[in-house]
Amino acid sequence: MVKKPLLIAVLAVVGLAHASDLNRTLRDLLFGRSPGQTQPAPTTMGSAPQQAPQSQQTTQTQTERRPRTAELLGGLLAVVGEPPYSPEEERNIGRTVAGGLLGVVPLVRDDELQRYVNRVGRWVALQSERPDLGWHFGVLDTEDINAFAMPGGYVFVTKGLYRQLNSEAELAGVLGHEIGHVIRKHHLRMLQKSRALAELGAAAGRRMEGSSPIAANFMGNFWEAFARGLDKEAEYEADRIGMVLAARAGYDAYGLPTVLQAIGHVSANDSRVAFLFKTHPHPDDRLATLSEAVGSRFDDLPEGKTLSNRFYRLR
Amino acid sequence: MMRLGMTVLLGVLLTLAMPVWATTGTMLRDDPLRAFASATAPVLTQVARGTKVEVLGRQGGWTQVRVGGHTGWVRMLSVRTSETAQRDVGGELAGVIGMGTRQADPGRIVAVAGVRGLTLNEQQLQQARFNAQELERLERYAASRAEAQAFAREGGLNARAVDYIPAPAQARQQSSPWEETQW
Repeated sequence: MVKKPLLIAVLAVVGLAHASDLNRTLRDLLFGRSPGQTQPAPTTMGSAPQQAPQSQQTTQTQTERRPRTAELLGGLLAVVGEPPYSPEEERNIGRTVAGGLLGVVPLVRDDELQRYVNRVGRWVALQSERPDLGWHFGVLDTEDINAFAMPGGYVFVTKGLYRQLNSEAELAGVLGHEIGHVIRKHHLRMLQKSRALAELGAAAGRRMEGSSPIAANFMGNFWEAFARGLDKEAEYEADRIGMVLAARAGYDAYGLPTVLQAIGHVSANDSRVAFLFKTHPHPDDRLATLSEAVGSRFDDLPEGKTLSNRFYRLR
Repeated sequence: MMRLGMTVLLGVLLTLAMPVWATTGTMLRDDPLRAFASATAPVLTQVARGTKVEVLGRQGGWTQVRVGGHTGWVRMLSVRTSETAQRDVGGELAGVIGMGTRQADPGRIVAVAGVRGLTLNEQQLQQARFNAQELERLERYAASRAEAQAFAREGGLNARAVDYIPAPAQARQQSSPWEETQW
Protein backbone atom coordinates (compact mmCIF):
# COMPACT_ATOMS: atom_id res chain seq x y z
CA MET A 1 0.00 0.00 0.00
CA VAL A 2 2.68 2.44 1.03
CA LYS A 3 4.67 1.49 -2.02
CA LYS A 4 2.25 2.62 -4.64
CA PRO A 5 3.04 6.36 -4.69
CA LEU A 6 6.70 5.38 -4.66
CA LEU A 7 6.23 3.22 -7.72
CA ILE A 8 4.47 5.96 -9.58
CA ALA A 9 7.33 8.27 -8.64
CA VAL A 10 9.87 5.78 -9.92
CA LEU A 11 7.95 5.38 -13.14
CA ALA A 12 7.78 9.13 -13.52
CA VAL A 13 11.53 9.42 -13.06
CA VAL A 14 12.15 6.75 -15.65
CA GLY A 15 9.81 8.59 -17.95
CA LEU A 16 11.64 11.87 -17.55
CA ALA A 17 15.06 10.37 -17.90
CA HIS A 18 14.28 8.57 -21.11
CA ALA A 19 11.43 10.62 -22.42
CA SER A 20 12.52 10.21 -26.02
CA ASP A 21 12.46 6.47 -26.08
CA LEU A 22 10.02 5.79 -23.30
CA ASN A 23 7.68 4.11 -25.70
CA ARG A 24 10.26 1.68 -26.86
CA THR A 25 11.44 1.02 -23.33
CA LEU A 26 7.93 0.29 -22.16
CA ARG A 27 7.30 -1.93 -25.11
CA ASP A 28 10.48 -3.82 -24.47
CA LEU A 29 9.54 -4.20 -20.84
CA LEU A 30 6.05 -5.29 -21.69
CA PHE A 31 7.29 -7.89 -24.08
CA GLY A 32 9.80 -9.20 -21.66
CA ARG A 33 13.00 -7.48 -22.70
CA SER A 34 15.17 -5.56 -20.33
CA PRO A 35 15.30 -1.79 -20.68
CA GLY A 36 19.00 -1.78 -21.55
CA GLN A 37 18.72 -4.33 -24.28
CA THR A 38 18.44 -2.86 -27.72
CA GLN A 39 19.41 -5.92 -29.72
CA PRO A 40 16.53 -8.10 -30.78
CA ALA A 41 16.39 -11.47 -29.10
CA PRO A 42 18.72 -13.95 -30.78
CA THR A 43 16.93 -15.93 -33.42
CA THR A 44 17.88 -19.53 -33.68
CA MET A 45 15.91 -20.18 -36.81
CA GLY A 46 15.25 -18.35 -39.94
CA SER A 47 11.89 -18.78 -41.59
CA ALA A 48 9.33 -16.80 -39.62
CA PRO A 49 9.28 -13.04 -40.06
CA GLN A 50 8.43 -12.35 -36.48
CA GLN A 51 10.09 -13.78 -33.46
CA ALA A 52 7.91 -14.29 -30.44
CA PRO A 53 8.94 -12.19 -27.47
CA GLN A 54 11.92 -13.81 -25.85
CA SER A 55 12.22 -13.78 -22.16
CA GLN A 56 15.81 -12.83 -21.63
CA GLN A 57 17.53 -14.11 -18.60
CA THR A 58 18.50 -10.70 -17.42
CA THR A 59 18.12 -11.68 -13.81
CA GLN A 60 21.10 -13.94 -14.08
CA THR A 61 23.38 -10.99 -14.28
CA GLN A 62 21.77 -9.21 -11.37
CA THR A 63 23.60 -11.14 -8.74
CA GLU A 64 24.65 -8.23 -6.56
CA ARG A 65 22.14 -5.68 -5.44
CA ARG A 66 21.77 -3.39 -2.54
CA PRO A 67 18.46 -4.00 -0.79
CA ARG A 68 17.18 -0.51 -1.44
CA THR A 69 17.91 -0.75 -5.17
CA ALA A 70 16.51 -4.22 -5.27
CA GLU A 71 13.33 -3.04 -3.67
CA LEU A 72 12.91 -0.15 -6.08
CA LEU A 73 13.83 -2.26 -9.06
CA GLY A 74 11.52 -5.00 -7.89
CA GLY A 75 8.69 -2.56 -7.51
CA LEU A 76 9.24 -1.05 -10.91
CA LEU A 77 9.56 -4.35 -12.69
CA ALA A 78 6.54 -5.65 -10.83
CA VAL A 79 4.52 -3.11 -12.75
CA VAL A 80 6.05 -3.47 -16.15
CA GLY A 81 8.21 -6.46 -16.85
CA GLU A 82 10.91 -8.89 -16.00
CA PRO A 83 10.55 -10.64 -12.65
CA PRO A 84 13.41 -9.46 -10.43
CA TYR A 85 14.50 -12.81 -9.12
CA SER A 86 17.97 -14.25 -9.45
CA PRO A 87 18.20 -17.80 -10.75
CA GLU A 88 18.89 -18.90 -7.20
CA GLU A 89 15.82 -17.16 -5.86
CA GLU A 90 13.79 -18.65 -8.67
CA ARG A 91 15.06 -22.11 -7.84
CA ASN A 92 14.32 -21.62 -4.14
CA ILE A 93 10.80 -20.53 -4.92
CA GLY A 94 10.39 -23.55 -7.19
CA ARG A 95 11.74 -25.98 -4.59
CA THR A 96 9.50 -24.55 -1.92
CA VAL A 97 6.40 -24.81 -4.04
CA ALA A 98 7.30 -28.21 -5.48
CA GLY A 99 7.93 -29.54 -1.96
CA GLY A 100 4.54 -28.19 -0.95
CA LEU A 101 2.77 -29.82 -3.85
CA LEU A 102 4.52 -33.10 -3.06
CA GLY A 103 3.22 -32.69 0.49
CA VAL A 104 -0.29 -32.91 -0.93
CA VAL A 105 0.27 -35.53 -3.63
CA PRO A 106 3.24 -37.91 -3.69
CA LEU A 107 5.04 -39.18 -6.76
CA VAL A 108 3.90 -42.37 -8.45
CA ARG A 109 6.07 -45.17 -7.05
CA ASP A 110 7.50 -46.24 -10.38
CA ASP A 111 11.17 -45.42 -10.89
CA GLU A 112 11.13 -46.39 -14.54
CA LEU A 113 8.21 -44.07 -15.26
CA GLN A 114 9.82 -41.15 -13.42
CA ARG A 115 13.15 -41.62 -15.18
CA TYR A 116 11.42 -41.90 -18.54
CA VAL A 117 9.52 -38.65 -18.01
CA ASN A 118 12.74 -36.91 -16.96
CA ARG A 119 14.53 -38.00 -20.12
CA VAL A 120 11.74 -36.85 -22.41
CA GLY A 121 11.35 -33.62 -20.44
CA ARG A 122 15.03 -32.79 -20.39
CA TRP A 123 15.36 -33.44 -24.12
CA VAL A 124 12.46 -31.08 -24.81
CA ALA A 125 13.82 -28.48 -22.37
CA LEU A 126 17.19 -28.65 -24.15
CA GLN A 127 15.43 -27.11 -27.16
CA SER A 128 14.53 -24.02 -25.11
CA GLU A 129 16.56 -20.92 -24.25
CA ARG A 130 17.02 -22.22 -20.70
CA PRO A 131 18.48 -25.67 -21.45
CA ASP A 132 20.47 -25.98 -18.27
CA LEU A 133 18.01 -24.80 -15.68
CA GLY A 134 17.66 -27.40 -12.92
CA TRP A 135 14.94 -29.30 -14.77
CA HIS A 136 12.97 -31.83 -12.77
CA PHE A 137 9.95 -33.76 -13.97
CA GLY A 138 7.60 -35.90 -11.93
CA VAL A 139 4.37 -37.86 -12.28
CA LEU A 140 2.00 -37.23 -9.37
CA ASP A 141 -0.07 -40.03 -7.91
CA THR A 142 -3.56 -38.65 -8.49
CA GLU A 143 -6.32 -39.38 -10.98
CA ASP A 144 -6.83 -35.65 -11.41
CA ILE A 145 -6.09 -34.59 -14.97
CA ASN A 146 -3.59 -31.76 -14.83
CA ALA A 147 0.00 -30.63 -15.20
CA PHE A 148 1.92 -28.02 -13.28
CA ALA A 149 4.99 -25.89 -13.76
CA MET A 150 6.89 -24.25 -10.95
CA PRO A 151 9.55 -21.59 -11.25
CA GLY A 152 13.08 -22.92 -11.52
CA GLY A 153 12.20 -25.89 -13.73
CA TYR A 154 9.97 -28.11 -11.58
CA VAL A 155 7.35 -29.71 -13.81
CA PHE A 156 4.64 -32.19 -12.87
CA VAL A 157 2.03 -34.17 -14.74
CA THR A 158 -0.63 -36.16 -12.92
CA LYS A 159 -1.17 -39.86 -13.41
CA GLY A 160 -4.68 -38.97 -14.61
CA LEU A 161 -3.27 -36.87 -17.42
CA TYR A 162 -0.58 -39.43 -18.20
CA ARG A 163 -3.35 -42.00 -18.77
CA GLN A 164 -4.75 -39.79 -21.52
CA LEU A 165 -1.46 -39.96 -23.42
CA ASN A 166 -0.71 -42.44 -26.16
CA SER A 167 2.70 -41.51 -27.45
CA GLU A 168 5.98 -39.94 -26.45
CA ALA A 169 5.19 -37.02 -28.75
CA GLU A 170 2.04 -36.28 -26.75
CA LEU A 171 4.03 -36.38 -23.52
CA ALA A 172 6.63 -34.11 -25.12
CA GLY A 173 3.90 -31.64 -26.08
CA VAL A 174 2.45 -31.55 -22.58
CA LEU A 175 5.88 -31.12 -21.00
CA GLY A 176 6.70 -28.51 -23.63
CA HIS A 177 3.66 -26.50 -22.55
CA GLU A 178 4.82 -26.57 -18.93
CA ILE A 179 8.41 -25.78 -19.93
CA GLY A 180 6.92 -22.79 -21.76
CA HIS A 181 5.48 -21.48 -18.49
CA VAL A 182 8.88 -21.83 -16.85
CA ILE A 183 11.02 -20.21 -19.56
CA ARG A 184 8.61 -17.28 -19.90
CA LYS A 185 8.41 -17.01 -16.10
CA HIS A 186 4.64 -16.91 -16.13
CA HIS A 187 4.24 -17.79 -12.47
CA LEU A 188 6.84 -15.30 -11.33
CA ARG A 189 5.04 -12.62 -13.31
CA MET A 190 1.75 -13.68 -11.80
CA LEU A 191 3.29 -13.47 -8.34
CA GLN A 192 4.37 -9.95 -9.02
CA LYS A 193 0.78 -9.03 -9.64
CA SER A 194 -0.33 -10.59 -6.41
CA ARG A 195 0.23 -9.25 -2.96
CA ALA A 196 2.93 -11.82 -2.43
CA LEU A 197 5.42 -9.25 -3.62
CA ALA A 198 5.99 -7.68 -0.24
CA GLU A 199 6.68 -10.98 1.45
CA LEU A 200 8.89 -12.13 -1.36
CA GLY A 201 10.94 -8.99 -1.06
CA ALA A 202 11.52 -9.83 2.58
CA ALA A 203 12.32 -13.42 1.77
CA ALA A 204 14.70 -12.67 -1.08
CA GLY A 205 18.15 -14.02 -0.50
CA ARG A 206 17.04 -16.12 2.44
CA ARG A 207 16.82 -19.80 2.01
CA MET A 208 13.20 -20.74 2.29
CA GLU A 209 12.22 -23.92 4.04
CA GLY A 210 8.73 -25.13 4.66
CA SER A 211 8.77 -24.34 8.31
CA SER A 212 9.58 -20.64 8.31
CA PRO A 213 6.70 -18.19 8.68
CA ILE A 214 7.83 -16.28 5.61
CA ALA A 215 7.78 -19.42 3.53
CA ALA A 216 4.38 -20.39 4.93
CA ASN A 217 3.02 -16.98 4.10
CA PHE A 218 4.58 -17.11 0.67
CA MET A 219 3.12 -20.54 0.03
CA GLY A 220 -0.32 -19.30 1.00
CA ASN A 221 -0.05 -16.48 -1.47
CA PHE A 222 1.38 -18.69 -4.15
CA TRP A 223 -1.38 -21.28 -3.86
CA GLU A 224 -4.01 -18.60 -3.85
CA ALA A 225 -2.64 -17.25 -7.10
CA PHE A 226 -2.03 -20.78 -8.36
CA ALA A 227 -5.66 -21.77 -7.76
CA ARG A 228 -6.81 -18.68 -9.59
CA GLY A 229 -4.76 -19.78 -12.59
CA LEU A 230 -2.56 -17.92 -14.99
CA ASP A 231 -3.84 -15.37 -17.43
CA LYS A 232 -5.35 -17.17 -20.42
CA GLU A 233 -2.90 -15.45 -22.76
CA ALA A 234 -0.11 -17.13 -20.79
CA GLU A 235 -1.79 -20.49 -21.39
CA TYR A 236 -2.13 -19.81 -25.10
CA GLU A 237 1.52 -18.79 -25.25
CA ALA A 238 2.55 -21.99 -23.45
CA ASP A 239 0.48 -23.99 -25.96
CA ARG A 240 2.38 -22.40 -28.86
CA ILE A 241 5.71 -23.04 -27.13
CA GLY A 242 4.71 -26.64 -26.37
CA MET A 243 4.16 -27.34 -30.05
CA VAL A 244 7.36 -25.61 -31.08
CA LEU A 245 9.60 -27.27 -28.50
CA ALA A 246 8.21 -30.71 -29.32
CA ALA A 247 8.81 -30.03 -33.02
CA ARG A 248 12.35 -28.81 -32.33
CA ALA A 249 12.98 -31.99 -30.36
CA GLY A 250 12.11 -34.02 -33.46
CA TYR A 251 8.64 -35.08 -32.32
CA ASP A 252 5.32 -34.79 -34.09
CA ALA A 253 4.34 -31.19 -33.37
CA TYR A 254 0.69 -32.15 -32.98
CA GLY A 255 1.09 -34.17 -29.78
CA LEU A 256 -0.13 -31.34 -27.56
CA PRO A 257 -3.27 -30.56 -29.59
CA THR A 258 -4.03 -34.29 -29.66
CA VAL A 259 -3.99 -34.26 -25.87
CA LEU A 260 -6.17 -31.14 -25.84
CA GLN A 261 -8.66 -32.98 -28.02
CA ALA A 262 -8.65 -35.90 -25.57
CA ILE A 263 -9.11 -33.66 -22.54
CA GLY A 264 -11.94 -31.91 -24.37
CA HIS A 265 -13.77 -35.23 -24.39
CA VAL A 266 -13.83 -35.46 -20.63
CA SER A 267 -17.09 -34.12 -19.27
CA ALA A 268 -16.79 -30.73 -17.64
CA ASN A 269 -18.70 -32.23 -14.70
CA ASP A 270 -16.03 -34.84 -14.15
CA SER A 271 -14.24 -34.04 -10.89
CA ARG A 272 -10.92 -35.05 -12.41
CA VAL A 273 -10.88 -31.97 -14.60
CA ALA A 274 -12.46 -29.53 -12.13
CA PHE A 275 -9.18 -27.87 -11.15
CA LEU A 276 -7.83 -27.91 -14.71
CA PHE A 277 -10.93 -26.30 -16.19
CA LYS A 278 -11.03 -23.75 -13.39
CA THR A 279 -7.49 -22.61 -14.12
CA HIS A 280 -7.27 -23.01 -17.91
CA PRO A 281 -9.32 -21.89 -20.89
CA HIS A 282 -11.50 -24.70 -22.27
CA PRO A 283 -9.59 -27.06 -24.60
CA ASP A 284 -11.84 -25.95 -27.50
CA ASP A 285 -10.72 -22.36 -27.06
CA ARG A 286 -7.12 -23.46 -26.76
CA LEU A 287 -7.38 -25.46 -29.98
CA ALA A 288 -9.08 -22.64 -31.84
CA THR A 289 -6.44 -20.17 -30.66
CA LEU A 290 -3.62 -22.54 -31.58
CA SER A 291 -5.19 -23.06 -34.96
CA GLU A 292 -5.22 -19.35 -35.62
CA ALA A 293 -1.63 -18.93 -34.45
CA VAL A 294 -0.19 -21.90 -36.33
CA GLY A 295 -2.02 -21.36 -39.62
CA SER A 296 0.16 -22.72 -42.41
CA ARG A 297 3.43 -22.31 -40.48
CA PHE A 298 4.17 -26.00 -40.08
CA ASP A 299 3.18 -26.96 -43.62
CA ASP A 300 6.77 -27.44 -44.72
CA LEU A 301 7.90 -29.01 -41.49
CA PRO A 302 8.68 -32.70 -42.03
CA GLU A 303 6.45 -34.90 -39.92
CA GLY A 304 8.14 -35.66 -36.63
CA LYS A 305 8.18 -38.87 -34.68
CA THR A 306 5.35 -39.95 -32.40
CA LEU A 307 7.33 -42.79 -30.79
CA SER A 308 4.20 -44.46 -29.51
CA ASN A 309 6.12 -47.73 -29.43
CA ARG A 310 8.60 -46.32 -26.90
CA PHE A 311 5.93 -44.61 -24.81
CA TYR A 312 6.08 -45.92 -21.26
CA ARG A 313 2.72 -47.43 -20.32
CA LEU A 314 1.57 -47.22 -16.73
CA ARG A 315 1.65 -50.48 -14.89
CA MET B 1 -10.46 -66.56 -10.96
CA MET B 2 -12.28 -63.38 -10.04
CA ARG B 3 -9.72 -61.43 -11.98
CA LEU B 4 -10.06 -63.60 -15.04
CA GLY B 5 -13.82 -63.14 -14.89
CA MET B 6 -13.44 -59.39 -14.76
CA THR B 7 -11.03 -59.41 -17.66
CA VAL B 8 -13.39 -61.48 -19.78
CA LEU B 9 -16.36 -59.32 -18.83
CA LEU B 10 -14.46 -56.15 -19.60
CA GLY B 11 -13.28 -57.64 -22.87
CA VAL B 12 -16.83 -58.48 -23.85
CA LEU B 13 -18.04 -55.02 -22.94
CA LEU B 14 -15.29 -53.37 -24.91
CA THR B 15 -15.92 -55.60 -27.89
CA LEU B 16 -19.60 -54.74 -27.71
CA ALA B 17 -18.86 -51.07 -27.36
CA MET B 18 -16.13 -50.73 -29.96
CA PRO B 19 -18.07 -51.16 -33.20
CA VAL B 20 -20.41 -48.30 -32.31
CA TRP B 21 -17.57 -45.99 -31.35
CA ALA B 22 -17.03 -43.34 -33.93
CA THR B 23 -15.57 -39.92 -33.65
CA THR B 24 -17.41 -36.95 -34.96
CA GLY B 25 -15.96 -33.52 -35.21
CA THR B 26 -16.95 -29.91 -35.57
CA MET B 27 -15.04 -27.46 -37.72
CA LEU B 28 -13.52 -24.69 -35.61
CA ARG B 29 -12.87 -22.56 -38.69
CA ASP B 30 -13.44 -22.50 -42.43
CA ASP B 31 -10.99 -24.81 -44.11
CA PRO B 32 -10.54 -26.36 -47.55
CA LEU B 33 -11.02 -30.12 -47.76
CA ARG B 34 -8.00 -31.51 -49.58
CA ALA B 35 -7.52 -34.72 -51.51
CA PHE B 36 -4.52 -35.79 -49.44
CA ALA B 37 -2.67 -34.66 -46.34
CA SER B 38 -0.77 -31.73 -47.75
CA ALA B 39 -1.29 -28.02 -48.25
CA THR B 40 -0.45 -28.54 -51.91
CA ALA B 41 -3.14 -31.19 -52.45
CA PRO B 42 -6.11 -30.30 -54.69
CA VAL B 43 -9.07 -28.77 -52.90
CA LEU B 44 -12.21 -30.93 -53.04
CA THR B 45 -14.55 -28.49 -51.37
CA GLN B 46 -14.71 -25.82 -48.68
CA VAL B 47 -15.89 -26.80 -45.22
CA ALA B 48 -17.41 -24.00 -43.19
CA ARG B 49 -16.88 -23.35 -39.51
CA GLY B 50 -19.44 -25.20 -37.39
CA THR B 51 -19.91 -28.01 -39.93
CA LYS B 52 -20.19 -31.48 -38.41
CA VAL B 53 -17.76 -33.98 -39.89
CA GLU B 54 -16.94 -37.63 -39.40
CA VAL B 55 -13.37 -38.08 -38.23
CA LEU B 56 -11.53 -40.98 -39.85
CA GLY B 57 -7.93 -40.56 -38.84
CA ARG B 58 -4.91 -38.31 -38.52
CA GLN B 59 -1.60 -37.91 -40.29
CA GLY B 60 0.78 -35.29 -38.92
CA GLY B 61 -0.99 -31.95 -39.00
CA TRP B 62 -3.91 -33.32 -40.99
CA THR B 63 -7.15 -34.98 -40.02
CA GLN B 64 -9.05 -37.17 -42.46
CA VAL B 65 -12.78 -36.44 -42.45
CA ARG B 66 -15.92 -37.38 -44.30
CA VAL B 67 -18.33 -34.57 -44.98
CA GLY B 68 -21.16 -34.12 -47.45
CA GLY B 69 -20.19 -37.11 -49.56
CA HIS B 70 -16.54 -36.10 -49.76
CA THR B 71 -13.65 -37.77 -48.00
CA GLY B 72 -10.52 -35.71 -47.61
CA TRP B 73 -8.17 -33.91 -45.28
CA VAL B 74 -8.47 -30.73 -43.22
CA ARG B 75 -5.94 -29.17 -40.88
CA MET B 76 -5.80 -31.03 -37.59
CA LEU B 77 -6.18 -27.81 -35.66
CA SER B 78 -9.26 -26.78 -37.64
CA VAL B 79 -11.45 -29.55 -36.28
CA ARG B 80 -12.53 -30.30 -32.73
CA THR B 81 -13.25 -33.97 -32.19
CA SER B 82 -16.09 -35.03 -29.96
CA GLU B 83 -17.59 -38.20 -28.62
CA THR B 84 -20.71 -39.73 -30.02
CA ALA B 85 -23.75 -40.77 -28.01
CA GLN B 86 -23.10 -44.39 -28.82
CA ARG B 87 -19.71 -44.27 -27.28
CA ASP B 88 -21.05 -42.86 -24.02
CA VAL B 89 -23.27 -45.92 -23.76
CA GLY B 90 -20.20 -48.08 -23.92
CA GLY B 91 -18.53 -46.00 -21.25
CA GLU B 92 -21.53 -46.24 -18.96
CA LEU B 93 -21.73 -50.00 -19.40
CA ALA B 94 -18.11 -50.35 -18.45
CA GLY B 95 -18.70 -48.03 -15.53
CA VAL B 96 -21.25 -50.46 -14.09
CA ILE B 97 -18.48 -52.89 -13.26
CA GLY B 98 -16.40 -50.23 -11.60
CA MET B 99 -14.24 -49.30 -14.53
CA GLY B 100 -14.57 -46.11 -16.43
CA THR B 101 -13.30 -46.00 -19.96
CA ARG B 102 -11.91 -42.93 -21.58
CA GLN B 103 -11.02 -42.71 -25.16
CA ALA B 104 -9.24 -39.99 -26.99
CA ASP B 105 -9.45 -41.24 -30.56
CA PRO B 106 -10.98 -44.20 -32.30
CA GLY B 107 -9.15 -47.31 -31.25
CA ARG B 108 -7.83 -45.84 -28.06
CA ILE B 109 -8.95 -47.43 -24.86
CA VAL B 110 -7.64 -46.40 -21.52
CA ALA B 111 -9.05 -47.98 -18.41
CA VAL B 112 -9.33 -45.70 -15.43
CA ALA B 113 -9.39 -47.22 -11.98
CA GLY B 114 -12.53 -46.60 -10.02
CA VAL B 115 -10.65 -45.06 -7.15
CA ARG B 116 -9.95 -41.43 -7.95
CA GLY B 117 -7.40 -40.94 -5.21
CA LEU B 118 -6.46 -37.46 -4.21
CA THR B 119 -8.02 -34.58 -6.04
CA LEU B 120 -6.33 -31.26 -5.98
CA ASN B 121 -8.01 -28.11 -4.85
CA GLU B 122 -6.97 -24.81 -3.40
CA GLN B 123 -7.86 -25.74 0.15
CA GLN B 124 -5.58 -28.77 0.06
CA LEU B 125 -2.78 -26.74 -1.42
CA GLN B 126 -3.20 -24.06 1.23
CA GLN B 127 -2.68 -26.71 3.87
CA ALA B 128 0.28 -28.23 2.06
CA ARG B 129 3.18 -29.28 4.21
CA PHE B 130 6.61 -29.20 2.65
CA ASN B 131 7.68 -32.78 1.94
CA ALA B 132 11.48 -32.74 1.82
CA GLN B 133 11.77 -36.50 1.41
CA GLU B 134 9.53 -36.59 -1.64
CA LEU B 135 11.36 -33.61 -3.13
CA GLU B 136 14.67 -35.43 -2.74
CA ARG B 137 13.15 -38.42 -4.47
CA LEU B 138 12.06 -36.18 -7.35
CA GLU B 139 15.51 -34.67 -7.65
CA ARG B 140 17.15 -38.07 -7.83
CA TYR B 141 15.34 -38.78 -11.11
CA ALA B 142 16.83 -35.80 -12.93
CA ALA B 143 18.29 -36.57 -16.36
CA SER B 144 21.60 -35.01 -17.37
CA ARG B 145 22.07 -33.26 -20.70
CA ALA B 146 24.14 -36.19 -21.98
CA GLU B 147 21.58 -38.72 -20.81
CA ALA B 148 18.77 -36.83 -22.56
CA GLN B 149 20.80 -36.60 -25.76
CA ALA B 150 21.59 -40.30 -25.74
CA PHE B 151 17.92 -41.04 -25.12
CA ALA B 152 16.97 -38.89 -28.11
CA ARG B 153 19.49 -40.67 -30.34
CA GLU B 154 18.09 -44.04 -29.31
CA GLY B 155 14.66 -42.89 -30.43
CA GLY B 156 15.99 -41.47 -33.70
CA LEU B 157 15.03 -37.95 -32.65
CA ASN B 158 16.92 -35.17 -34.35
CA ALA B 159 16.79 -31.58 -33.13
CA ARG B 160 15.51 -29.19 -35.78
CA ALA B 161 15.18 -25.47 -36.25
CA VAL B 162 11.64 -24.25 -35.66
CA ASP B 163 10.74 -20.66 -34.88
CA TYR B 164 8.55 -19.66 -31.99
CA ILE B 165 5.02 -18.80 -33.05
CA PRO B 166 3.83 -15.26 -32.37
CA ALA B 167 0.42 -14.66 -30.83
CA PRO B 168 -2.40 -14.50 -33.38
CA ALA B 169 -2.79 -11.05 -34.90
CA GLN B 170 -5.95 -9.99 -33.08
CA ALA B 171 -4.29 -10.33 -29.70
CA ARG B 172 -1.85 -7.63 -30.73
CA GLN B 173 -4.39 -5.25 -32.19
CA GLN B 174 -5.54 -3.78 -28.91
CA SER B 175 -5.33 -0.05 -28.66
CA SER B 176 -2.99 0.34 -25.75
CA PRO B 177 -0.08 -1.88 -24.84
CA TRP B 178 -1.05 -1.39 -21.20
CA GLU B 179 -4.33 -3.16 -21.76
CA GLU B 180 -2.63 -6.32 -22.83
CA THR B 181 -0.32 -6.45 -19.87
CA GLN B 182 -1.00 -9.82 -18.39
CA TRP B 183 1.13 -9.58 -15.36
